Amino acid sequence: MGIGDIWNLIAMQPMINTLIVLTHYLFSNFGLAIIVVTVIVNAAMLPLTLKQVRSSRAMQALQPKLAELQKKYAKDKQKLAQEQMRLYKESGVSPAGCLLPLLVQMPVWIALYQSIMRVLAVIPENLLGLSKYLYSWPIVYSTLPLENHFLWLNLATGDMLLAILVGGTMWVQQKMVMTPGADPKQQQQASMMLWLMPMMFAFLTLSFPSGLALFWVTSNVIRIGIQYSVSGWGGLIKSAPKKETDRDKKYKQRIAEVEKAPEGADIVAPSVTQEEGLSHEESGSERQDRGGGYPKSIRAIRRKPRRGGSHRRKGG
Amino acid sequence: MNIRSNMALKVCFALILLLVGLTFFGCTGIRSSPEGGTGGVIADGTLFLCPSLKQASGGFGCAAPQMEGKLVAVDTSNGNRLWEVSLEASGPSGGGFGCASSATPVAIYGNPAVAGDLVYIAGYNGRIYAISASTRLSTDRYVNETNPHPIIGGPVVAGDVVYLASSDGKVYALDTASLEPVWEEPFETGGKIWSTPAIDGDTLYIGSFDKKLYAVDTATGKERWEKPFETEGAIISTPLVYDNTVYIGSFDRHLYAVGAAGGSLKWKCIAGSWFWAEPVAYDDTIYAPCFDGKVYLLDAETGNKINEFDLGSPISSSPVLVGTEIIVASEEGKVYALDTGSNQLRLISELGEMVYAPLCASEGVVYVYTGGQNLYALNLESGVKLWILTIK
Repeated sequence: MGIGDIWNLIAMQPMINTLIVLTHYLFSNFGLAIIVVTVIVNAAMLPLTLKQVRSSRAMQALQPKLAELQKKYAKDKQKLAQEQMRLYKESGVSPAGCLLPLLVQMPVWIALYQSIMRVLAVIPENLLGLSKYLYSWPIVYSTLPLENHFLWLNLATGDMLLAILVGGTMWVQQKMVMTPGADPKQQQQASMMLWLMPMMFAFLTLSFPSGLALFWVTSNVIRIGIQYSVSGWGGLIKSAPKKETDRDKKYKQRIAEVEKAPEGADIVAPSVTQEEGLSHEESGSERQDRGGGYPKSIRAIRRKPRRGGSHRRKGG
Repeated sequence: MNIRSNMALKVCFALILLLVGLTFFGCTGIRSSPEGGTGGVIADGTLFLCPSLKQASGGFGCAAPQMEGKLVAVDTSNGNRLWEVSLEASGPSGGGFGCASSATPVAIYGNPAVAGDLVYIAGYNGRIYAISASTRLSTDRYVNETNPHPIIGGPVVAGDVVYLASSDGKVYALDTASLEPVWEEPFETGGKIWSTPAIDGDTLYIGSFDKKLYAVDTATGKERWEKPFETEGAIISTPLVYDNTVYIGSFDRHLYAVGAAGGSLKWKCIAGSWFWAEPVAYDDTIYAPCFDGKVYLLDAETGNKINEFDLGSPISSSPVLVGTEIIVASEEGKVYALDTGSNQLRLISELGEMVYAPLCASEGVVYVYTGGQNLYALNLESGVKLWILTIK
């Protein structure tokens, strides 16, 4: 059994037959089946997606610090790499954390993509090829070939409105992920990519069957929802930069004192009321509760007992 | 690890993802453009055939479709190409980055029909062509002028009328000389039609994607039966009319025997997969090739299974009757002769190429057009390849 056969057995056949059976139960509507399968696949992938989104977000929260390190060790690449790795380790962030879930999800997306293309079978060659993927369920045989009209769409051909939707939803999703960067060059690069990818996908949508574009739009909408649940509207809605308060100044002063203090020194931590009023460097950035953002020496702080026992701060 | 921008990294990864996806798309045999390719039709020692359109690699996992179709005439005695007529696609060609093309390729799926000097072919671009074998002059027109749809099935000529069906779900009757409509209105079904009509006397039989088999009056274009015969799956294969019975295979894996006069069910027989190819009848036996790789031998009257032969791979190519033998080819290119008297299966040749197109035969020679764009002439007795002609 070759790799192609294994791929067909574990990925293509289940996906194709699921799509066909769902089409049967969803009023012979293949468009609805695509949407439902996309939702199911996304739901199954949710833990991985959440992990990826959070990792990605944690990485972004580190960007200012990474930029500082880059500035500080611009001439010593080795030291820069060491410091970056140390920062990742201390922050509990893995750079691979963003990519690994994507890698795991990739085969599923490819299978879904291929299945949609195969099941559409608008030309006889594809319908002939489809037969070897079918389970011997009567329902599958009686449902084929599928009707490829959904709303105003012919699912087998490209569509302008859907192309705009694909580009638009992708732009929104990417914009939500974006956070203002410290480096203007980086910012410019990110802005360019923000437009490039949606435009590219919109262009591809015009050329590929709308069934595939429907899958892209649905996926994008789901990802927008997930992104919103994790970090709100993120970079989509601009928030005015907060003014540095007296408390912020005190906090920075305090951090500086801690960093200057010798290792193992016994320092009294700020009171809860002081902590609660502190604002973060950027609005919307995730707070690192695992001690990653603080200098090591701060871990030796002898804390006063908290009232109410809560460690959570307001805002952030 | 020097990460300058998380966004840039994500974009790069997304691009890789996209390219991998496109590569997968290109490598998995999912075609976006029709190729077609018909079987041969023989008249006066000349075989007429429309070759398949092959896709050239277009990069990014895409394929650039060939647009121009053709009709080729071949001398059956020696395999020489006598002439060919090009069928140009209208509209601009070229796929661009996204592999799409605004013109429709002239892929021909249904076998040509020959009547006198004229050869009729129907294209995926929705046009019917009448080509003179003597002058090579061509007349053509859109079957549906206002809303052209692909035509997959072939035309059938009866008297002065050429009949064909289109993916718009309609059956058309056109004058053989002028290609003008004969009926007041085309006959309309409830789904796409990909099959070739069968004509018996003054009745035309056609199956549709709406899972129904229709009987149509060839003179008026009106329905003959009180109601169409309904199956549980789409119908793509061409009906066989034999001894006042219509035999039709369906996507629901059944072969149905339906009374030609009233459209009532006589019997049905289940198989392992779809029926795509047209069955053959001989001596009260129906030889029905199926996608499950088997040829079913059924009693024409009762539907009882007499025998079955497993050819090992799906059968999408319609078999042909030569004398007392049924010649049938499996998709993987094995050509067999099934003796109707002894019910013995004999391997004629292993071509080593995919076979989808219907077979044709004449004077003890069977002609097979393969997915590799080769036309084989095989001696039925010895299995010797008399000649091979590559038609691209």
